[in-house]
Amino acid sequence: MTYIHPKHDAPTTFLSKYVFSYDHKVIAKQFLWYGIFFLGVGGMMALMIRWALAYPGEAFPILGGLFFPETGGVIPPDTYSMLFTLHGTIMIFYAITPILIGAFGNFLIPLMIGARDMAFPFFNMLSFHLALVSGLLLLASLFFPLGGAAGGWTSYPTLSTLIGSPGVGQTLWCLAIFVLGISSTMGAVNYITTIICFRAPGMGYFDMPLSVWGLWLTAILNAIFIPVLGAGVLLLIFDRVFGTTFFLAGAAATSGTGDPILFQHVFWIFGHPEVYILILPAWGIISDLISFFARKPAFGAKTTALAMTTITVLSTLVYGHHMFTTQMSPLLTQTFMTLTMTISIPSAVLFANWLLTLYKGSIRFQTPMIFSLGVVFVFGLGGLTGLYLGTVSTDLYLHDTYFVVGHFHYTMAASVLLGGFAAIYFWFPKMFGRMMNEKLGHIHFWISMLGLNGVFMGMMIMGHAGMHRRLYNPFVYEFMNNLIPLNTFVSYSAFFMGAGQLIFVYNFINSMIRGEKAVDNPWEVGTLEWTIPSPPIHYNFEEIPTVKCGPHEYSNPALKGTGRDFQYQTEELAGA
Amino acid sequence: MSFFKVFETQELITTNAHKITGLFNYTTIMVVVFFILVCVGLFGFSFKYSEKRNKEAEYTYGNTKKHKLITLIIGLAVFFLIDLSITGQSNEDMINEFWNFPKKGDDIVRIEVLGQQWMWNFRYAGRDEIFNTEDDVLTNHELHLPVGKKVEFRITSKDVIHSLYFPNALLKVDAMPGRISRMWFELTKTGSYDIACAEMCGTHHYKMQGKLHVYTQAEYDEWLNEAQTLAEAGNDTENIDNYWGWKWDNTAPSAQVAKE
Repeated sequence: MTYIHPKHDAPTTFLSKYVFSYDHKVIAKQFLWYGIFFLGVGGMMALMIRWALAYPGEAFPILGGLFFPETGGVIPPDTYSMLFTLHGTIMIFYAITPILIGAFGNFLIPLMIGARDMAFPFFNMLSFHLALVSGLLLLASLFFPLGGAAGGWTSYPTLSTLIGSPGVGQTLWCLAIFVLGISSTMGAVNYITTIICFRAPGMGYFDMPLSVWGLWLTAILNAIFIPVLGAGVLLLIFDRVFGTTFFLAGAAATSGTGDPILFQHVFWIFGHPEVYILILPAWGIISDLISFFARKPAFGAKTTALAMTTITVLSTLVYGHHMFTTQMSPLLTQTFMTLTMTISIPSAVLFANWLLTLYKGSIRFQTPMIFSLGVVFVFGLGGLTGLYLGTVSTDLYLHDTYFVVGHFHYTMAASVLLGGFAAIYFWFPKMFGRMMNEKLGHIHFWISMLGLNGVFMGMMIMGHAGMHRRLYNPFVYEFMNNLIPLNTFVSYSAFFMGAGQLIFVYNFINSMIRGEKAVDNPWEVGTLEWTIPSPPIHYNFEEIPTVKCGPHEYSNPALKGTGRDFQYQTEELAGA
Repeated sequence: MSFFKVFETQELITTNAHKITGLFNYTTIMVVVFFILVCVGLFGFSFKYSEKRNKEAEYTYGNTKKHKLITLIIGLAVFFLIDLSITGQSNEDMINEFWNFPKKGDDIVRIEVLGQQWMWNFRYAGRDEIFNTEDDVLTNHELHLPVGKKVEFRITSKDVIHSLYFPNALLKVDAMPGRISRMWFELTKTGSYDIACAEMCGTHHYKMQGKLHVYTQAEYDEWLNEAQTLAEAGNDTENIDNYWGWKWDNTAPSAQVAKE
């Protein structure tokens, strides 16, 4: 049965409208700003890391003197560790998650399934404000003696216990992740419930746009596995603050014996699904966008949805491939390797469906589309290079080298960010009622594409040459001295890409103020959010729509003579 | 020429490192083939079916029998060409080489390794061939080994997790407090090579560097003899810090856990 929210009057005060709003569209925008802010912070950290690798021992320009006055602007080794730790943490938990899941999850789910709001609007609001608290905790950790967390985003004990990180920063990091976990779990439960209970009448699961499928599967993984991470960091807090020894062993444990490897199991049971938590919304979104802009029904939409579901299930069974070098029993190792490899089957199905959607399409290369095609390209590279790391014997060599860094940036950073940008360019008119500039969008795409391939391909090459991760100055090793020019090149690519993002920021803000006014349906797309005004009215749908056909109805020959090549989901299927 | 050197791994110095590069190269061929297929689809279809060149799109859901068959074939091709062959080869290499540890009684060099912030400690059993006794040869940072003989390492850590990494052997294994991990290889080339720590272990992780000196058997015997004499003369037998080693257990090494 379908649940329907009653209509309420729109809030009138500033606080209830923009700060403590229950409206999913406002919360989505809050998450978007939050994510973009942290994307900037995390990106700046990445540039500092690249600076330190390209010019070891030289002062970071302009900001260096401000942040590191004791060293005259040179990034010191302990700060370098904090930078890569927080770069990873921020990008994963505070930039990608809020943009893809927080912002687009919130914005799209009710609009695309024809609901007036989320199932639990109050939890939704709370979810954002907890994320805010978490972000403040994380930033605050930088201002304590000994600075922020510096044990890598994976924060393996015993480095992350008092043995390796005595400062308050690491404790606050754990707390921040814990609070963020509560926020994400609230969001996830909300999304799952909304999708199950609030679909418009007539909308079966396979009538949902694939974006909603992606967000739904992500929410399910989130609801199951974020609490596992929460438990892990809570135990870590106990070890740090209350003197327990869950993760201490050997000479480090004064009494009893815990096991640091236990944390790795807990972390990666969460950590591997997390990769899919990040990529599934992007897959869903581009599956839709490729069909929308190829003006062709999504090829095998049902198999795409089922392939994503299969990957969701498999993603929970493969985490051991992160731990091959800890020498698990050969039986476990072989099992994890085999299960990891099977993920390539549903992945191949996804690629086949994307490419066959393009086949005999009539493709429009607007900004959201080229970003979506970009995702196919970079995820192709990222996914295929995963083969080397899922294989035990090659992983023994490549584990903890820059090859891994390049690989997961292709999958998690490049694909997800390009997918996120595609989503921003595509739904910006619906969010803000204005269009983004196409020309700047294209320039932004090409700069990002060239830059990111320079960076991450370069990383994979240096990883294959043997350069390992998280080194303040890799060139103390003789065997890496021939990699200096490559490192410099990678850094230049990163600076180039970083500078390119300023175009996006300009385009985003300028379009919001001065952009061309958007019509209700600028992309000529048939899903439910385009049947209502841009931006949507409070409570979205005056009347809850009834769904009569699928989300990808394009170029139906029966539509000839109607003047358009698509139909809305609220219309009877033409010619049927 | 030197430009292309960045595309190569380091010089290989063990009997089985080429197994890893071999599998790496096979995987690369598969990756390139499949990525070319993706690119042909991506760029080819984008070019051929742009709005300019193809005014009208085909109306199909891609759910006919033929379409399903195509998808199935692609999935199975990936499974058989990539997954099964790579997994099978890797399994074979692991069982025959990397997990095929020397047996009890083999004439091998045995080394105990202790990682600590930020130094590698190595221990040779010494004249009595028993570990953790007064006559053990102890070295920091520097590891001396002969060519042509199997070397087995037993590795643990004193404080945080480290990872013993030989870039030229293409091998690494974690050094974990409370656990003993293992690694073996047989060297083929003399010379000096880098040893690194591959797992983030704190601020000076990047300085946790060692040197591997590979000698001929004669040179090695000479070095060991000298080191043995020095150890017997100079080891501080009262210093408890010198007894971080443990008894080398030949029965069930993977289950062995470092005891206090």
